[in-house]
Amino acid sequence: MSAPAGSVPEFAPRPPSLGASASRWLWLGPLLATMLVPFVWMVAISLAPGAGESLGRALRGPFSLDNYRALFGAARVGRYFVNSAVIAVTVVILNVATAALVGYTLARRRVPGEKFWTLGIMATLMLPKQVLMIPLYLVLAKIHLLDTYAALILPFAVDAFSIFLVRQYVLGLPMELEEAARVDGASDWAIFTRIVLPLMTPALAVVAIQSFLTNWNSFLFPLIFVDSDSLRTLPVGLALLSQTEHSVDWGFLMAGSTVASLPVLAVFIAFQRRILSGLLAGAEK
Amino acid sequence: MRTYSRGVAWAMVSPWVIAFALFGLYPFAFSFVASLTDYSPLRGTAHFVGVSNYARALNDPAFWNALANTGLFVVGTIPFTTGLALLLALAVQPAFRGRTLFRVGFFMPSVVSVVVLALVFKGLYAPNGSLNALLRAVHLPAPSWLLNPDTALPAIMAMDVWSASGYYMIIFLAGLEAIPGELYEAAKLEGAGPRDVLLHITLPLLKPTLLFVLVVNTVRSLQIFTEVFVMTHGGPLHRTSTVVFALYEEAFTRFNLGYASAIAYLLFAISLVIAWLQMKVIGKPGGMHE
Repeated sequence: MSAPAGSVPEFAPRPPSLGASASRWLWLGPLLATMLVPFVWMVAISLAPGAGESLGRALRGPFSLDNYRALFGAARVGRYFVNSAVIAVTVVILNVATAALVGYTLARRRVPGEKFWTLGIMATLMLPKQVLMIPLYLVLAKIHLLDTYAALILPFAVDAFSIFLVRQYVLGLPMELEEAARVDGASDWAIFTRIVLPLMTPALAVVAIQSFLTNWNSFLFPLIFVDSDSLRTLPVGLALLSQTEHSVDWGFLMAGSTVASLPVLAVFIAFQRRILSGLLAGAEK
Repeated sequence: MRTYSRGVAWAMVSPWVIAFALFGLYPFAFSFVASLTDYSPLRGTAHFVGVSNYARALNDPAFWNALANTGLFVVGTIPFTTGLALLLALAVQPAFRGRTLFRVGFFMPSVVSVVVLALVFKGLYAPNGSLNALLRAVHLPAPSWLLNPDTALPAIMAMDVWSASGYYMIIFLAGLEAIPGELYEAAKLEGAGPRDVLLHITLPLLKPTLLFVLVVNTVRSLQIFTEVFVMTHGGPLHRTSTVVFALYEEAFTRFNLGYASAIAYLLFAISLVIAWLQMKVIGKPGGMHE
């Protein structure tokens, strides 16, 4: 999905010389280090109880996992973590399933009102969230789903961006395989599951990764749609914990922040090529 | 293309049709209707009040304050975010050893929860926090950042520039990689220096990407909320109250859903107008091919 090697402009000789690389490191290195200081602060403070908010004291230690023990000892944060995980994973599965089904159908089949549905997807992409925040709240209240897991899952189960991404990807796939299977008498469902689905895997992977990152970090809707402490997600729980405590316990909060960041950072590091190239492809459309 | 049984096709798109109707179209229309009423779930009644919610917003100093803060946020962050993102993209585009490390590192803030980033910066900005320790060490003034009405909003803005640049760097990278390599080779043959190449090839051809970055970032910045909620809750002295924060307060602490819906629509209209203006001003002359 990234640009072909031939289109890379030749600022630097290829293969890169050591000298050219070193000169980039010389000025980009300190910049990156500065930009990563907040993350260093987060982890250091979480590991050095008693250091307060001072990085200097935190780096001198002593280090311990006390803050993390407190985090999971206080059952709530463990619960927040489980809630976040259950909700994010469920939404990812639903996003992938519906994006595969709908994206493929919009790309390949004649659906009555197809233009309208495609236009609807584009419109949804541009609509700011806060216009939908109040009416969605009222819709969920009306169908008695406020303050349930479903309130944090159903409205996000079908994602316009994911559908759009899959549709664009399928439009770029050759039709021959599907047509051959059709000639051989394969059913619609068999064509979809046995032929198209395997071909769509790269696009579905991008959908899954981006959906996970978005939903794990989601804040505004979980803040509004859920009231019970036992249903809170990790970002909302952390934000509210930081405001209800009288004196801020930075070690505890940073342990929570580290725990909240680990899953997304793990996914990001593991799939960084897919994520960055997915974004690169998305931006080119 | 052969048409298949309509039933099958319908069944396959039905998840989208249902979700779009229930969680998109209906709420969108409903909130517009709600903005014309005095609906509050506390009273449980709704009366048609025409455009008076819109008139109320335009006469509400709290709304204008939030709009001014949001405007300041947009104007004060976007030039820096865009400049930094472009600089980073130009720096990490050519091949060099360890390039991926830099791309991944600069992008990292974009994958972490805004709540986490906001909490970390709240700690860094604390009156006796690490930032002030550093400032004192080099004998610079150490304000109390988020607790001071004059520095709170700029402090949040600085954090936004830090956290958003990596994301737009990737978008600029996409634009850079789409520029045909032949152009650079031709320029080289004609003896153009790196500065000429940047000014006459890279930047002009990057204009569509620049437009995209500006529009997306403006629309996002107009909706800034989480940072404010976590770091200042709109204070001190309402100096960090943004439109979406004011909207949130109106809707979910005061339960004036009709009035809040009107604010939401006003912000939507403002976003559309600004995006349209940006496309008009930047998108027009020369267009894609200059």
